[in-house]
Amino acid sequence: MEAIWDGLVEAFRLIGSGDGDLFSIAGRTLLVSGSATALAMVVGVPLGYLLGRARFPARTLILAGVGTGMGMPPVVAGLIIWLLLVRSGPFGGFELIYTKQAMIIAQFLIATPLVIAFTAASIQSLPARLPDLLTVLGAGRLRTLWLLAKEARLGLLAAVMAGFGAVVSEVGASMAVGGNLAGDTRVLTTAIVTETSRADTERAIAYGLVLLAMAFAIVAVLTVVQQRSPR
Amino acid sequence: MEARIEGVRFAYGDRPVLDVPELRIEAGRVTALLGPNGSGKSTLLRLLAGLERPRSGRVLVGGKPAPQARSSVAYAFQEAVFLSGSLRANLDLALRLRGLAADERRSRLAEAAGACGVAHLLDRPANRLSGGEAQRANLARALALRAPLTLLDEPLAGFDERGRGQMLEELPALLRRFAGTAVLVTHDRDEALRLAADLVLLREGCVRAAGPKREVFASPPDPDTAELLGYTILGTDAGLAGIAPGGLRPGPGDFTLTLQVEEVVDLVTAAEVIGSSGGRRIAVRCPPGEPLPAPGEQVSVSAPTEMVVSFTVPAPETVDRASRASVA
Amino acid sequence: MSLARRLLVLPALCALVFAAACGGSDDDPGTIILATTTSTYDSGLLDELVPRFEERTGITVKVIAVGTGAALRMAGEGNADAVLVHAPEAEAPYVASGDLVSSRLVMTNDFVIVGPPDDPARAASASDLPAALAAIAADGRFVSRGDDSGTHKRELALWGTAGIDPSALPREETGQGMGATLTIASERRAYTLTDRATYLALRDVLDLTVFVEGDASLLNPYHVHVVNPDRHDGVAAEQAEAFAAFLLEPATQALIGRFRAEEFGRSLFTPALESPVGGG
Repeated sequence: MEAIWDGLVEAFRLIGSGDGDLFSIAGRTLLVSGSATALAMVVGVPLGYLLGRARFPARTLILAGVGTGMGMPPVVAGLIIWLLLVRSGPFGGFELIYTKQAMIIAQFLIATPLVIAFTAASIQSLPARLPDLLTVLGAGRLRTLWLLAKEARLGLLAAVMAGFGAVVSEVGASMAVGGNLAGDTRVLTTAIVTETSRADTERAIAYGLVLLAMAFAIVAVLTVVQQRSPR
Repeated sequence: MEARIEGVRFAYGDRPVLDVPELRIEAGRVTALLGPNGSGKSTLLRLLAGLERPRSGRVLVGGKPAPQARSSVAYAFQEAVFLSGSLRANLDLALRLRGLAADERRSRLAEAAGACGVAHLLDRPANRLSGGEAQRANLARALALRAPLTLLDEPLAGFDERGRGQMLEELPALLRRFAGTAVLVTHDRDEALRLAADLVLLREGCVRAAGPKREVFASPPDPDTAELLGYTILGTDAGLAGIAPGGLRPGPGDFTLTLQVEEVVDLVTAAEVIGSSGGRRIAVRCPPGEPLPAPGEQVSVSAPTEMVVSFTVPAPETVDRASRASVA
Repeated sequence: MSLARRLLVLPALCALVFAAACGGSDDDPGTIILATTTSTYDSGLLDELVPRFEERTGITVKVIAVGTGAALRMAGEGNADAVLVHAPEAEAPYVASGDLVSSRLVMTNDFVIVGPPDDPARAASASDLPAALAAIAADGRFVSRGDDSGTHKRELALWGTAGIDPSALPREETGQGMGATLTIASERRAYTLTDRATYLALRDVLDLTVFVEGDASLLNPYHVHVVNPDRHDGVAAEQAEAFAAFLLEPATQALIGRFRAEEFGRSLFTPALESPVGGG
């Protein structure tokens, strides 16, 4: 019990002291997971929109694939990307392995199915006639998409949160493709693993607290927006 | 604004739903598309709105292909669909998408909302309106545009009976005030006759009759169409005959038939005698004060000649359609 | 109203962020991937050495800490440029096949067997290493790395020498690094084989005592190898060679000898220049 208490006190002291490592790792975590989530939105939202709106033969198959992707353990995504990017792999020539880009790619792979599924669900929950309505009101294609996105904004927000939440908290893929390089590819989760195995419990706790704070901030934003929104 | 349909065929996948060689919607008039469910009337409306493109042929609105004429068209869907936000925001968006200035939008919005009886609902969330309120709001959104061509899909669906009666009374004036040319879809003959000047009768994707409502009503081309207009269809020695709604009276006359009475319904202000003749169920309205037959009796009922149309069997249209169907 | 512009903001932002994330060192003096073992890494020694090398040469060293088996396999498949490991028997085939070249002994430390302070198996009173192992096999619990690491390989070899079948023991495999395995052994009041460096580094938070040490078969030599550029494309052999040479420089060797010596009252590693094992 005392060890936990001491750990917490020391962890807060670390956070309060503006520890350089802690803040650079936290910043890097935001950068990597934020980029991965943003890319996943760029790719996943249009795909999710298509899956939510269009009816075509392969749709069910694709939805099943997306569902499987959502259930894929991050470490498997990490393994796949590692095999692709490692020097002897098919894309080894790009020299991306053990870089932040590799982590972004792996996290993108993890977040995209989530974004697709959440987007498809939120688009499907819109009234079926809505796109027709916007068309006859005179909205062009771009504006129709924009208005639909606004209409589905809670679902899209949930997609961002789900995607970001999944990648910011995963450790397997980041470890495998990033290599947990100090000052380069070490993010909060992999740093926790390192500090735990080095028995630097205080640091591990401090990183954990920062990660929790990030998760809390995300949920808080989502909740505030949900509460404010009519309907 | 006038609209024309020329040689249009339309299908959902392999299922043909519409085949209209030629149809003209006259400018400045209200046209009703009347037909049973699945007759293609809503599809016709969607073609006019440019929401669907025909497989072949042209749909011209004011001389332009329909998809390019959208800015001249207002459309109220059967289901009232709104974006989240207030009703005011919804109406305003519709006007804004037409590129209207703020002042103009404000005055048009207030006018249409007032006329349609939704002015007091403007600041409510549009998605929380009740069925009747939402339908009026839906109408207000279409009418506020004052479009040269206004399309209304089943404008009286979604009302309760009282609201529907009220709307039926208000709608003609609203259409005169806000809609230059209007096309409305309905499956209800009374609605069509009350609201429209012109009728287009649709059945199984084909236009069976079109024109001013009196002409269409007076000479339905075939028994199916006549039935759509409320005619009672009977078999006679010469083939089939149709008696216009309300044409039958008790007692013998120009066109007399014998009715096997099954039931007599007292409607207080009148009575309805229901029975069968030649295997068809027929209802005859008796004015008050007349002696009523009892169930089981046989009575004569008749219609004046001008209320009767006769058809040669089989109707040529039917043959035509049947052969086409078998080819397809 | 610039709707299109608004819609373009997100992708643009992404591109920007990705570019920012990409902004790193690339076409400078070069980068090498050093595959090494978790125990080497967890000791913190490389945190001390690598920055000095990077500062001097400008070469970036990416230290990937995995089990010895994985490290060797990475190197053997050309997925690393250099490898620093401590499992001579496992290294030999790679050296023999020519995948690893320029092999050098960097330093040694030793393995020790640790266990709960009350020594339930009385391993401390055993006459020699095989007897101690037999005592543990008879009366104690044993926690193994089970991760194909150098330590794991050594442990299996020790059981073999003692004539004991490890699969018949009350023995658990953690599949994790040395630090985690030590913590688990401590919590479960079990014995385990550990390199001395990791044990000393974590000693304060562990409830474990050294019972067996000093046997010649417990010596733990660390070798550095360079991946053969003739056999694998893309290997930064020149930079890797420079790193290997750096490890054997007298100044570096001295640093290895001093590493955390003050803290623990003894050296964690014995540099190769004064090693009891002959140079590799």
